[in-house]
Amino acid sequence: MGIKIVPRYGQTLKEKLYLPAIVGGMKVTFSHFFENLKDTSKIETLCYPEQLPKDITPRYRGVHRLTKREDDTVKCVACFMCATACPAECIFIEAIEREDGVDEKMPKKFSIDLLECVFCGACVEACPCDAIRMDTGIFSFVKKKREDFVVNIDTLLSHKPMKGSN
Amino acid sequence: MATINVDDREIKVKDGALLIEELLANGIEIPHFCYHPALGKDGNCRMCMVEIEGKKRPQIACDTPIKDGMIIRTKGENIQRVKRQILEMELINHPIDCPVCDQAGECSLQNYYMDVGLYESRLGTPKTRGKKHVDIGSNVVLDQERCVLCTRCVRFTKDITKTKELGVLNRTDHSVISIFPGRPLSNPYAMNVVDLCPVGALTSKDFRFNKRVWFLEPDDAICNGCSKGCSLHVDHHKAKYENDSIFRYRPRFNDKVNGYFICDAGRLSYKKQNTNRDSFAQIRGNESEYEYASGKLLRLLKRHHGKILFLLSPSLSLEEMVQVKKLSIAYDAKLSGYDVNEYDHNFGDDYLKCNDLSSNRRGFNLLNIDEKKENLEEFSKNIELAILIGRDDIQTIENYENIDVKVSINASMPQHSDLYDLYLPMLTHMSREGSFINIDGFLQFSKAHVEYALETKSLSQIIGIVLGDNIFTCKEVWEESLSDIIKDIKLENIQKKSCKMSNL
Repeated sequence: MGIKIVPRYGQTLKEKLYLPAIVGGMKVTFSHFFENLKDTSKIETLCYPEQLPKDITPRYRGVHRLTKREDDTVKCVACFMCATACPAECIFIEAIEREDGVDEKMPKKFSIDLLECVFCGACVEACPCDAIRMDTGIFSFVKKKREDFVVNIDTLLSHKPMKGSN
Repeated sequence: MATINVDDREIKVKDGALLIEELLANGIEIPHFCYHPALGKDGNCRMCMVEIEGKKRPQIACDTPIKDGMIIRTKGENIQRVKRQILEMELINHPIDCPVCDQAGECSLQNYYMDVGLYESRLGTPKTRGKKHVDIGSNVVLDQERCVLCTRCVRFTKDITKTKELGVLNRTDHSVISIFPGRPLSNPYAMNVVDLCPVGALTSKDFRFNKRVWFLEPDDAICNGCSKGCSLHVDHHKAKYENDSIFRYRPRFNDKVNGYFICDAGRLSYKKQNTNRDSFAQIRGNESEYEYASGKLLRLLKRHHGKILFLLSPSLSLEEMVQVKKLSIAYDAKLSGYDVNEYDHNFGDDYLKCNDLSSNRRGFNLLNIDEKKENLEEFSKNIELAILIGRDDIQTIENYENIDVKVSINASMPQHSDLYDLYLPMLTHMSREGSFINIDGFLQFSKAHVEYALETKSLSQIIGIVLGDNIFTCKEVWEESLSDIIKDIKLENIQKKSCKMSNL
């Protein structure tokens, strides 16, 4: 690997004075300030949570959901592919024998720690059964305790896909 | 000796040996299902095809004896195509349920498919179905659909255990492995078929769905179930926010001791190792801090100097025995290895299981530690403090009224911890290193590092602290004392393989 020599800035008198740089920065700040003051409708911010974003598309990676089979049972077979692919190691699965004859294996426990999750979508990519998706469009989750952010299998199964996703 | 040419590389091999044997021994990858070094060739899977110059068609490497000057090709377009076609045949009726299959990750079929597979199905008709998850006894679950009919399991029960529980039923693509009606798999080595099975057709009921294999971390250890000391892979894993625990034992090849197999009792003994690892120090049945309890041990030793009896377990490692002996000399204590519990007349057989359940009884002979009952009675006369190390048989010393203080240093919590004045936990067998002499006189080294959640020290560390000599590890003990006792074998040698002791 080659070595790149980075020039050192900040050694001239003009740079050591700081003031010219501050004036330059303020120029940008005030130009935006007066522009927005003239016409408030152009401001690119939302009064969240009264105003909600309108640009959440079906491709947006929201909170996960576990999909179901046609007979309304869990599709996941607890193969641990998502947990293996997860870079944050935030998926906790416990597998048990599935007794209803649909398949051999199913998750007894399937929890995702949303505080640890980086929403990269690797679990969705890794799933061989299309059992986990992130198309719920849920972008905000507010809880009172850390433990509440670990969402369990029932919550994940109850999440619905957002409108427009297939 | 013969010289053969494999993929433009000259190798020296044994004349007349099986080609696959020598190719595998030389690190050349030959895909195979039915061949197994312990079971020999069968030639039914056709997976080990190689090109031999002078032969019209590709030949199977498992049933070809080596001749001097053979020219062999294991790679290339032609042989790749042959392997792909054979693999396509194997996969015609395979359910491809890798997500629910416990073998996934260590499956030969999966690996070969990744190497030479066709990657698309040309099958138009429905697959022939077989029975799935059939419990065939002895903790083995059979899935007929995943089977490639290599008959390794059938040959194992026929040639090794000679119990012949398994067989192949029906013809053509309806062929399945099966037990006979009402005759489940029942022999003390049955679970070896799970390791033998190259695919997921035979899986362990005990390990079923517990852990995906790629998470497991294998350590090389030896079994402490009996005095045979079979070589093991200890598969353990520390999941996030959970304690490190062992999920299974697998046999580790050792031609001197156990070959390719282990007994089921030893295989399932990992459970005991898991439960033992949550013991805490106790003083008269009350939980105590570890530091305080080990300080109390030192105070007791000082107070009863000259009137101490050490009762050793014959399952301690050589290093630990040497250290205890040193401690006994320092405190002028008596040393006895008398133990009746480590013997079970119904356990042994003529293969791998031994009646002597201790893992290092021959270490007593080597270190001249007495294990006679008469001598123990003689020793116990003027004793005030008895320290049981690695054992929990308080009934052995119960009759001696002169023994006031009883101490236990053991991996598992004592059954009646209130009977002991002090209980100090030590690391279990699968959490520390040590050398052991097995029943046939092989000196072996065991090294597994399953982590502890609680603060616990190994016996060598406990003694090292009491003696203040800073000798804690096996290497230090060997340098200090063991290399004088065992002159012809070095620690580095037994770390690689088992060595026969000459001076026993």
